Amino acid sequence: MSSAKNLIPKKIRRNILDMAFSGSTVHIGCALCLVEIFSVIYRNHLRYDYTKPDDPNRDFLILSKGHGVMAQYACMKELGWLKDSDLLNYFSDGTKLKGLSDSRVRGLEVTSGSLGHGLSVGVGIALGNKISQTKQKTFIIVGDGELNEGSCWEAIQFAGHHALSNICMIVDKNNFQAMDKTSNIINQQNLATQIEAFNFNVTEVDGHNEDDLDNAINDLFSLQNNKPSCIVANTIKGKGVSFMENKNDWHYLRLDKALYEQALLELE
Amino acid sequence: MRETFSNKLLDIASANSKVLLLSGDHGYGLFNSLRQEKPSQFINMGVAEQNMVGVAAGLSRVGFRPIVYGLSAFIPIRVLEQIKLDVCHDNLPVIFIGDGAGFVYSHLGTSHQSTEDIAVTRAIPNLIILSPGDRFELERCMNLAYDSSLPVYLRLGKADRGDVHSKRLSFDLGDLITLKNSERERKVSIIATGSMLEMGMKLCKSFPSLGLVSVPSLKPINKNQVSELCKSNDCLITLEEHSVFGGLGSIFCEIASSFSNIEIHKIGIQDRFSEYCGTYEYLLQEHKIDLESLKAEIASIL
Repeated sequence: MSSAKNLIPKKIRRNILDMAFSGSTVHIGCALCLVEIFSVIYRNHLRYDYTKPDDPNRDFLILSKGHGVMAQYACMKELGWLKDSDLLNYFSDGTKLKGLSDSRVRGLEVTSGSLGHGLSVGVGIALGNKISQTKQKTFIIVGDGELNEGSCWEAIQFAGHHALSNICMIVDKNNFQAMDKTSNIINQQNLATQIEAFNFNVTEVDGHNEDDLDNAINDLFSLQNNKPSCIVANTIKGKGVSFMENKNDWHYLRLDKALYEQALLELE
Repeated sequence: MRETFSNKLLDIASANSKVLLLSGDHGYGLFNSLRQEKPSQFINMGVAEQNMVGVAAGLSRVGFRPIVYGLSAFIPIRVLEQIKLDVCHDNLPVIFIGDGAGFVYSHLGTSHQSTEDIAVTRAIPNLIILSPGDRFELERCMNLAYDSSLPVYLRLGKADRGDVHSKRLSFDLGDLITLKNSERERKVSIIATGSMLEMGMKLCKSFPSLGLVSVPSLKPINKNQVSELCKSNDCLITLEEHSVFGGLGSIFCEIASSFSNIEIHKIGIQDRFSEYCGTYEYLLQEHKIDLESLKAEIASIL
């Protein structure tokens, strides 16, 4: 039975590993850190029709950080939007699920992975919904590395200026990007303060604590002060698999059978 | 032409409250009537073009009809990837207006000049490219763009060259407009787009036997009509205020090469940036696409 109740972090992580092993894919660490963010939003906050992921009255969940898409696929499998075979045939010739978010997959909203796109598209959706006076919310997940992109800051300043209080931006702050620690590339000191300065309500939480994420979303949307919301979610790249946690090589490494089985053992 | 643009924009916005004009802090004076009569349908997005295009994509996903306005040096050049990924990949109904194409900003230098925009946008799937040559073509292009409900790049070049046509037009996407057939024994026609259409008219006065065809729709383009033109002429001269790479001339060569040996001369901007500052006319001279230079070139072709 497909249901949001099935969105259990360990199960989602196992789905990610199944996909990553089946497809011999990279970006495993990028997906593992997003699990609780997705599970909490899908389970407790996003309003949508299970039978119609593209229902026009839905809330929007946008993965701007397209590299983490396996986490979203893993959730979509539990929601019944993808089949076991979709995961097990990941990256097979002629299949639809790509290695980065692609808007042509039902359930995904934007084509991202080229970074700095999804935030602006989400801001446009939120602006439209504000003008139309709907109650639809837009959740947008961006990476801390992605915030190197100037376009993100264009979107942030616009959302703040236009008081888009129907937005919740979640920064997946795993402190790494493709080649190194973010602090060694573009050091983002006081990210929360920076975003706050653009007229956002900002809360910083443990991005792997579902209750904290849950409360943060509730608290931010209850503020009613005409500001967009932002959660800086402190996460661990590769979370849940000991040999991947904070090991940035797992941005690019692939699982062999032995490592796959070892990882699964940790998620029983 | 600019007045036609402003009026038509107001018509479109008045007919549908979901039409929103997004400007990247450009269009001084151009949107006065829209801002006065439909203020909620104009949004100055600031000097942030990437975000503007992403926002337009988002707005179109929730039922709006965004028209994105900027100078063609920025829209589409600066935001090519947003046009590709955020808009065209999903075939969203967003109209991009790239104003001042070619050398309109002759005094401002390369940052504001745009001579590569057709070449790069042509290769993006789903994107319609329109390049009107006078106010009548512009009005029809704006109707076609809006009615298509598809991604459209509308290229606006030098706008004060006067009328070429004398009445409202009813061409469709892809259509060529024949203004005049060649009257020579060896049939030679000028094929022009955008600002160079009016130049083509002038050249026909100097060389009355030339034919003249306007191409307001660069993509799609009606291949059968191109084929007919190749059959009924011995030589075509394409004329555009754009690089000779990838624009109108390339379009004709690409199509004709599969079925015709017709001689095609591509006249446009050679592979170089502007070196000097000056009037629009001066820049045309620098790039040898002013009237006198073109007369000499055409005389040598004839």
